[in-house]
Amino acid sequence: MIDTAALAALLSRTRGEPVAVDSVTALSGGASSATYAVAARVGGSDWPLIFQGAAAALEPGQLSKATQAELQRIAARHGLPVAAVVAVTAPGDGLGDGFVMARIAGEALAPRWLKGAAFAGARAALTTHCATALARLHAVPLGEFARLPLAGGTPREQCARLNAAYRSYCVDLPAFDLAFGWVAERLGDHAPTALVHGDFRSGNLIIDEHGLAAVLDWELAHLGDPAEDLGWLCVNAWRFGQWQLPVGGFGERDALYDAYAAAGGAPVDRGMAQVWEVYGTLRWGMACLQLVHDHLSGRVRSVERAAIGRRITEVEADLLYLLTHGSI
Amino acid sequence: MAVPSASVLIEAVAAFLSEIETELTGRAAFHAKVAGNVLAVVVRELDQQPERAEAAAFARLLGPGATAADVCERLRDGRLTVATPGLLDALLAATTARLAVDNPRYSTLRRLRDTTP
Repeated sequence: MIDTAALAALLSRTRGEPVAVDSVTALSGGASSATYAVAARVGGSDWPLIFQGAAAALEPGQLSKATQAELQRIAARHGLPVAAVVAVTAPGDGLGDGFVMARIAGEALAPRWLKGAAFAGARAALTTHCATALARLHAVPLGEFARLPLAGGTPREQCARLNAAYRSYCVDLPAFDLAFGWVAERLGDHAPTALVHGDFRSGNLIIDEHGLAAVLDWELAHLGDPAEDLGWLCVNAWRFGQWQLPVGGFGERDALYDAYAAAGGAPVDRGMAQVWEVYGTLRWGMACLQLVHDHLSGRVRSVERAAIGRRITEVEADLLYLLTHGSI
Repeated sequence: MAVPSASVLIEAVAAFLSEIETELTGRAAFHAKVAGNVLAVVVRELDQQPERAEAAAFARLLGPGATAADVCERLRDGRLTVATPGLLDALLAATTARLAVDNPRYSTLRRLRDTTP
């Protein structure tokens, strides 16, 4: 749990005036981070905030919360909708590795904003909003990230790392092996050209009635090929049942690619975008394998993690559909 | 009357879970719902035995007794590729049989059935 007095001290120091913290409520906990809603008050007004802290010691290749905060600051400077970073913890604060950001009003639960009538206008605008945010992100000069410890590598190297992760689970899923071979043959060997958000999908957006209010969860950001972000957004798993709309369950690919180019992004090669969609589907499959491995290894035993083991069949079906029909 | 089969017993447990789900909240309610879905998977697996369709598909591809591990080994060393006649058909047959058990409402199952000869 979060030490509210330590949090109040950090916020007071940052503001240069007394800040009270009335409550800290856990919102969600992942394997690597924990998110809290913070009800703070300053000068008699409410100050709604979010605290995001590391849930466990950093694993190799994982971004610290301080690095994620820096990425959000850079993104904000370049016109992306992100929550403003308020404070980053220091080692003596007693709060671990974490940062505080503004709490953005809106809906973060994708099934709600994908289906709710109140969000119809937001959904209509969202493809353009996402394309614009990604085009702006991918246009940031790489020099701005030079002092951050970000992973990189060529697309083919990235794919080889994903394949090594797959093989480490010692499972035999023919559709996965088939797709890995197909993707590896088609991905390029070029050096990174952009910062890739790495987890830009319907579950990581805050949506208000006008559209995209904030892009969340920068912990998988890395240097790479911008087409990876476009492919990931179109993976079937992020459509939450709205499978007829390939862009996140709310839009069409042509509209996404056109808006991306209109916002200054590189023209999208349709064939490569499909390769990245297959790659993204494999990445989602790897997440399922990790989660069911948590249960089988005893790291986190739960009926939910065990059940995810059977979602792997969905991934196999999506991969086979992609390989036989070109797109899903 | 016969003594209850495994499927009947599991269905009874699933009915019990959905009864108590209304008395639960938060994580416990969510996990009770997931547990009910898991029991439905087990009942379908007992009824449909997808491993038979899977074994038949791999046998058509590689011969009697072939397993998923055999197929994977050949995909990894390049003896099988996406261009191998019968490979995609075999994988589609095996996967649709298992998906009909694991999540029969999944959109891609319907799409594969609508488009596979």
